[in-house]
Amino acid sequence: MLKLDGICAGYSVVPVLKDVSLTVEAGQFVAIVGPNGAGKTTLFKTISGIVQPSAGAILFEGVDLAHIPAAKRPHLGIAHVPEGRQVFPSLSVMENLEMGAFTDAGRRAWKQNLERIFALMPVLAERRDQFAGTLSGGEQQMVAIGRGLASAPKLLMLDEPSMGLAPAIADFIFEKLIEIRAETKLTILLVEQRVAEALESADRGYVLEAGRVVLEGNNATLRADDRIRQAYLGM
Amino acid sequence: MTSQVIENILQALVAGLLAGAIYGLMCVGLGLIFGVMRVINFAQGDFMMLGMYAAYYLFLSAGIQTTFGNVLGPYVAILLSGPLLFLFGFWIHKLLISRVTGQRTAQLDGEGHFAQLILTLGVALVLQNGGLIVFGSVLASIRTPLSSSAWEVGPLWNDLVSIFINKARGIAAIISIAAMIGLAALITRTRMGKALRAAADNPVAATYMGIDIDKSHRVAFGLGAAVTAVAGGLLATNYPFHPYIGIDYVIVMYAGVVLGGMGSITGAFWGGMTIGLVQQLSTLVLPTQLQNAAIFVVFLLIIFLRPQGFFGRMVERT
Repeated sequence: MLKLDGICAGYSVVPVLKDVSLTVEAGQFVAIVGPNGAGKTTLFKTISGIVQPSAGAILFEGVDLAHIPAAKRPHLGIAHVPEGRQVFPSLSVMENLEMGAFTDAGRRAWKQNLERIFALMPVLAERRDQFAGTLSGGEQQMVAIGRGLASAPKLLMLDEPSMGLAPAIADFIFEKLIEIRAETKLTILLVEQRVAEALESADRGYVLEAGRVVLEGNNATLRADDRIRQAYLGM
Repeated sequence: MTSQVIENILQALVAGLLAGAIYGLMCVGLGLIFGVMRVINFAQGDFMMLGMYAAYYLFLSAGIQTTFGNVLGPYVAILLSGPLLFLFGFWIHKLLISRVTGQRTAQLDGEGHFAQLILTLGVALVLQNGGLIVFGSVLASIRTPLSSSAWEVGPLWNDLVSIFINKARGIAAIISIAAMIGLAALITRTRMGKALRAAADNPVAATYMGIDIDKSHRVAFGLGAAVTAVAGGLLATNYPFHPYIGIDYVIVMYAGVVLGGMGSITGAFWGGMTIGLVQQLSTLVLPTQLQNAAIFVVFLLIIFLRPQGFFGRMVERT
């Protein structure tokens, strides 16, 4: 479904991604793990079109994204739940979700999607008329995820949904992701620093370090890998 | 208190409400550009000036006077100046303003506000001087027979007090209020309006939703120009104007937007309304030359007591 081939990207003179290639098959749950500053967020921004790659190609369902502007990509079915939540603070929870459904697909499926989002995260229904800027971090993360789901995406990209949250809330968010996954069979690309949890639920994983893919494989291979066990799982 | 004093107060109050409604609409236009989209536009007063001349020439030269007559004609011309100034604002944004706003400026110092300040001041100067060349320095006005007749309210209180409402100003106030309500509904209720607000709130996240930021900004800028232009046209049915009139009003517009609270369309309207009321009521106790001083004293007082403005929210923007 998504294929990155030799992507190099960065900010003005600072290269961040160096020859990154990865593949996400339809229906797969793929996790990208790695330390801070490895380029995980830049990788997502490149897929979304906010950062332009200096080399390499991104294919989404066989379509080369090179000449597709960032604002058109969500309409193809790519939903990006950004790092740090990035809700619209002066819009209500409901309006945030409506903005998620800005894509044509999201508009068509608005009613069912909204029901599903509220069933999954009932607190959003309770707070529907509240300004998103006044919510707690965990609630804002739920808005951000709900907003992503509301676009009726083919690929849901989540950038560190547990960042900045209390461990209990982060666990809750993780459970929700697994629920969404079980319910919808949605293709998910997840960036996460909580390596153990991420690798446990994902089908496939990539380890990104200093802008390069240093390790890749399916769930079992990665979890059995000594380097992973030592560096990330503390075993 | 003598009935004469009561009558003066009531008359000033009515004058303030009528002027305030037009100022309110003016401020709503800037409120979209500065309050909602956070773009500093010092040419807003000159957009208003262009709106006045657009209505003036539409009325006199585009056959509107002969088609619609002297009573209805000016209002048709004024409302038509809106779409014209929308296109003007849209293109000015596309050609110039877009270079100092939106996603490009996210990494810049002050989010590109310095560049916006200088660019729009430049645009203002070009429009003022261009206006002088094209329209000349002679005062112009959009004449309607309504501006020299009035509705009388009263006599009230044993025939001692009556208030006169100038018909042209009354109609201008009604059109202003209707336009403000329409625009507020557009911004708060429609998909397009919500997308504009989302784009202003967080441009990058709005892009992730599939909202075209540059297009949203262009549309908001055009709308803001159009709204202020219509307010200018309404003002011109009562006050003569000239190519430099923008400077007199642009500061008042900023004061109104800040008073009302950044980001709130209704707030901007009430900010403008407050300015109209203060301006007219101050004439009861102060010489007319001090009108503007009175406005800014009240402005400072309100900002001191309520820094976020009437309708401002203390929500942090990301």
